[in-house]
Amino acid sequence: MKKFITGNHAVAEAVRLCRTQIVAAYPITPQTPIYEKLSDWEAAGELGGIMMRTESEHSAMAACLSASLAGVRAFTATSSQGLALMHEMLHFASGCRAPVVMACVNRTLAAPWAFWSDQTDSLSQRDTGWIQIYCEDNQEVFDSVIQAFRIAEGVLLPCMVVLEANYISHFMEPIEVPEQEQTDRFLPPVKIPERFDVDNPSFVAPVVSQVQFEAFRHLSYEAMSNALDVIEEVDRDFGDHFGRNYGLVEAVGLDGAELALVTTATITSTARVALAGLREKGHRVGLVKIRVFRPFPTRILREILEPVPRVAVLERNLSLGREGIFCSELKAALVNSEKPHHVQGYLAGMGGTNVDPDLIERVVIDALSRERVSDEPIWMMEKK
Amino acid sequence: MQEIKFHGRGGQGVVTASQMLGLAYFKGGMYPQCYSLFGGERRGAPVVSFLRVDQKKILLKCEIKNPNQLIIFDASLVDPDEIRKQVVPGTKILINTSKMSDVIERLRDFTVGIIDASCIAENLRLGHVINTTILGAYCRLFESLSVNKVIEAVMEMVPAKKSENAKAVIEGNNRVTLIKGRR
Repeated sequence: MKKFITGNHAVAEAVRLCRTQIVAAYPITPQTPIYEKLSDWEAAGELGGIMMRTESEHSAMAACLSASLAGVRAFTATSSQGLALMHEMLHFASGCRAPVVMACVNRTLAAPWAFWSDQTDSLSQRDTGWIQIYCEDNQEVFDSVIQAFRIAEGVLLPCMVVLEANYISHFMEPIEVPEQEQTDRFLPPVKIPERFDVDNPSFVAPVVSQVQFEAFRHLSYEAMSNALDVIEEVDRDFGDHFGRNYGLVEAVGLDGAELALVTTATITSTARVALAGLREKGHRVGLVKIRVFRPFPTRILREILEPVPRVAVLERNLSLGREGIFCSELKAALVNSEKPHHVQGYLAGMGGTNVDPDLIERVVIDALSRERVSDEPIWMMEKK
Repeated sequence: MQEIKFHGRGGQGVVTASQMLGLAYFKGGMYPQCYSLFGGERRGAPVVSFLRVDQKKILLKCEIKNPNQLIIFDASLVDPDEIRKQVVPGTKILINTSKMSDVIERLRDFTVGIIDASCIAENLRLGHVINTTILGAYCRLFESLSVNKVIEAVMEMVPAKKSENAKAVIEGNNRVTLIKGRR
């Protein structure tokens, strides 16, 4: 059935439909409505699983990790400082190959203190060994949470579904919510290794030798590489069940394009509107959405961008001392292409500032007319 | 596409008004998209909320800068010059006020709806929460939504005083004064 709900409530709906057995979390703006909704349902006896109200995000992830090692389907949600506090446990979860699923609501990291969208919090967790999926609207968030459990449990790696503060978390939109039986047919009951046996107590993360550590890392590396195929397969199957799918990346109007505008998350949705206007005016521009960031879809990006001479990356995050993080990743993915590309980075929407079709149009016109590409990102700042 | 901006103060039910109106449009088969901007949530502080409504899926994930419908819960928040800068031509404006004032006189080129929602809500023992009265008046001024759809949404969303709120919608609808724009 169709429901008119926020992105946060879409996450909660998906978590309940997935028959999640344990939710361990700590409230933080702008994620709190996920936690509150799940709590309401638990109090009304409508959740199915149980909530653990932990004393911190670090403990929340420790609880999810432990539950997952016991063979239980576990979920948490956080944002910003909460995710930063979890950092140590994020490595632990992926190292233990625990298929925990998390919703991360992108929010600025302090200082200064703010509540709005900025992708630097989740991107700062790039190297923790988590799968990361970036969503552009409420429906995609809902669908991606359901997909995430199957992906994570399929490759035994944790998975983060990323949604933006305000533009998704607090935007209310209609979404399609399937029936429980339909969800059950797509997502079978959890079946992951039960590594805690109460009758035969043992230690799951013992000290290992150098050689053993290297071997474990190699196994994790293979699992993450394999995740690319699994994500595609799960997404295709999701399409068969629900009539919607998303891919690792999405290309729009790249045939004959002189410029590819590369975006992620909600900027993509607004860019679809801007793109239609630009093409009407005769600009040869296409759009590429990067949905999956870890594992990075290098091969497919190289293939679809191969015939396009110019690339502009527009994003809402920053690695100080370098540039936007998707831009760096994309440059690295293209460096072994047959033909060189001109890749120009643009920063906009930082701290949740507004990215509208006018701004996107200015980026595209600049990228099309620019004679020299700058190694520095170009800031599209709001005047204040 | 309708782009609606709500101006009011914390405690008047501004955010819920935008959500209830969105739900009413949703029940009418439209695609609404609703969001609010507020920092420290406190009673009396200015609050703005926004609602887009279209027949097809709305892709824009950005702010409404130039609304074509304006709903003002507190006339003391109105600056006619500021409004003129924001809205698109032909915008209709709904204002909660108890008297014709200089402010309204200065907005006479717009079609304006005037409703004494504070008085109606007070008489129905709804306190400062005037959102349901405002939505009743909205239906009369904008004529894009039936009162019944709004009442249906109100019944689903208000946490208490359901019958009083339904009455407020009807009262708001009956008692709004419409002043046609001069151009």
